[in-house]
Amino acid sequence: MKGGAIKLFVLVVGINIFFAYIGLYFLPQSQSLPPKTIKIEKGIAQDELIAAGETILFGKGQCMVCHPMKPESGMRAPAIATIGADMVKAAKERNIPIENYVFEGLVNPAEYIQKGFENMMPPVHKAPTSLTEGELIAVSAYLQSKGANITINYPDSVPILQDEIKKETKKGGNG
Amino acid sequence: MADVSVKKGLTKGVIKLTVLLGISFLFLFVLGKLLPTPTEDGYRVFPLIGSRVWVWIIAQLHLNFAAFVLGVPIFAVSMEFLSWRRSDERLDRIAYDFTKLFTLAYTITAAVGTLLLISLPVLYPKFMDHMMKILGPTWWLYIVVMYVEVMVCYYYYYSWHKMKDNKGTHVAIGGLLNIMGVIMLLITSAWVGYMTTPAGVSETGELLSRWKAIKTHMWIPLSIHRLCANVVFGAGIAASYAAYRFIVAETDEDRAYYDWMGYTSAMISIGFSLILPGVGYLLGVEIYSFNEQMGIQLMGGFFAWLWVMQAILIGAILMFVNYYLWISLNKMPGGERYFKYVKYLFVTMLLGYAVWLTPHSVALSLDEARKMGTYHPVLGNLGVMAAKNTAVVITYLATFLSFAIFKMSNKEAVVSWAKLGNALRGLIVIGSTVIVLILGVYSYMVSSAVRVKILSPIQFGVFFLAIVALFILDAKMFKGAKILGEPRWGKMPERSQYALIGITVTFTWLMGMMGYMRSGGRQYWHVYGIMQDTSPDAFLPTHGFASVVTSILTVIFFALMGLLFYGIMKLEKKGGQGGAKA
Repeated sequence: MKGGAIKLFVLVVGINIFFAYIGLYFLPQSQSLPPKTIKIEKGIAQDELIAAGETILFGKGQCMVCHPMKPESGMRAPAIATIGADMVKAAKERNIPIENYVFEGLVNPAEYIQKGFENMMPPVHKAPTSLTEGELIAVSAYLQSKGANITINYPDSVPILQDEIKKETKKGGNG
Repeated sequence: MADVSVKKGLTKGVIKLTVLLGISFLFLFVLGKLLPTPTEDGYRVFPLIGSRVWVWIIAQLHLNFAAFVLGVPIFAVSMEFLSWRRSDERLDRIAYDFTKLFTLAYTITAAVGTLLLISLPVLYPKFMDHMMKILGPTWWLYIVVMYVEVMVCYYYYYSWHKMKDNKGTHVAIGGLLNIMGVIMLLITSAWVGYMTTPAGVSETGELLSRWKAIKTHMWIPLSIHRLCANVVFGAGIAASYAAYRFIVAETDEDRAYYDWMGYTSAMISIGFSLILPGVGYLLGVEIYSFNEQMGIQLMGGFFAWLWVMQAILIGAILMFVNYYLWISLNKMPGGERYFKYVKYLFVTMLLGYAVWLTPHSVALSLDEARKMGTYHPVLGNLGVMAAKNTAVVITYLATFLSFAIFKMSNKEAVVSWAKLGNALRGLIVIGSTVIVLILGVYSYMVSSAVRVKILSPIQFGVFFLAIVALFILDAKMFKGAKILGEPRWGKMPERSQYALIGITVTFTWLMGMMGYMRSGGRQYWHVYGIMQDTSPDAFLPTHGFASVVTSILTVIFFALMGLLFYGIMKLEKKGGQGGAKA
């Protein structure tokens, strides 16, 4: 009886060591840290604003969870590489200023869904993403830098951004 | 426990629970006075291993035991019902053995639960205040239901022999026990559901509707998933118990009984596990419909490689199961006729396993995605759900075939249409496999919504239809069949029993890992999007760290289980009600 119990103990511990070993040595090791808020200062230079936007895109914004960099078959959301030019085209078709179109895409994305995609993007000024006004403007400037003229800056573009947030709030969001 | 009257047994149960609850509240009061006040953002730190790892281990251990004591009564009562209707003594004995197991396990469950009840408010006071504010009444309901459940459980156990001539009423009491178990499950799932997919509160966490805070996206699908998983797990533990008893058995009679018990429990476990991918899928759909990003993060973001780990684990479980069934052919007179099919089943399992293991988004972090792209150019095609669902369904179909082969291996059909029946069986197996493959290929050409909401459920539907059709066909075809000999229960090599234990250990590890992923899906939130985790532990650790913690808690769980098994055997030696032959 004792022999059987010892064999079983060795089996149970052995299996657990084996799985821990796979976890330790066969899977990539990396931690997922909570994002840090990036403070955007008044009068920030355009290239710094764009760089901050890129950092947010790949970090706190978690945009790359759905948006691929280059177009791919079966992509869930528009590719980033040409998104600036694509947005200019879509804004012209809808006959709205490009700045409004870009901000709407971030804070009120359900308002207009590009053909071929589904309504799945959350308003990123709200939790859990919770981008600040400065961060939203930095992301917008970065998106414009992908194939369009950059017309968005901080803090001049804040009133347009606030207008779009208000529209989303009126629609039923809590602002 | 032996020869204890129903009244004494009930009193013992109530006293145990009351003492444990009393200890909880006493400790909460004393620790609240003695310990330093929490940090400004509402945390205390557990020494050495930190609060997160401590609560992680205790919560998972509690969950494992709770899964066991909620899962086993379902099939203990089912067995008792069958024994009553068929007047089968052996079924009554197995039902009683199961009942003995979960009744004794209640004490450990409650003790670990007490530790959790003390730990959470002491280490996370602000978070627990929030939970009490939103779902407070459900906590009190939980305590009431717990009392009723323990009383019904103890009554069910201690009245077993007294009510042997009143089986109908006794089975009904068992039914009530299961109803209480389901209510407990619904309450605890509501808490987890609120933390992960919150509703009924404002953005600042003020309560707007308590019912909405209970009835979240995750509530019902999580409850269903847990209910099925509990049966799988509970039956698995019972199979391990039987395997252990088989290994240490001293008589052929005992070996035969525990071989049969191990087989029966393992097949219940595997049978219910067939439902798990389907109900897991429903849970996934609800998470996606609550928040696409959370769903994507869980399935393909930071956790992508843990799904590979999950595939390794489930594949290992299925391999253990198939290995056990293939060895079991040896104890079936006529079983050797089916040895030739084993190699084909093995190759099918292996191919399905390989596709299942292939990750889609190999990038571990968003930074990596920036450097190497989101998907692998070649393997990415096999890593998508279109390929994986197909592989999973076919692997499960192969496992069902192993079971079906085992079941009929000692029989010879004598009906006039036996040849046609065999052709039909082949047609069902090959036809369903082809349909699943075609649907899998077609899934690549449609949008994710069509794939997720229509094609994948159809694939699972085809699988279930196939096994139901095979089940009905076999029942008709082998009715009155020529029996080549009864199964030689007990005539199994010892290694087959290690396969049974391997199934349960792997499943326990899998539960631990999935629990971590479900919890980690909230990332740096206590309540997703409502209450942020600002503690020093507000990050997801490496997969290696998570694996080590999961292994440690699994070993602790089995050590406690070992004590439980030892306790039961000791009681049996004393004789009386605790005896396996009672």
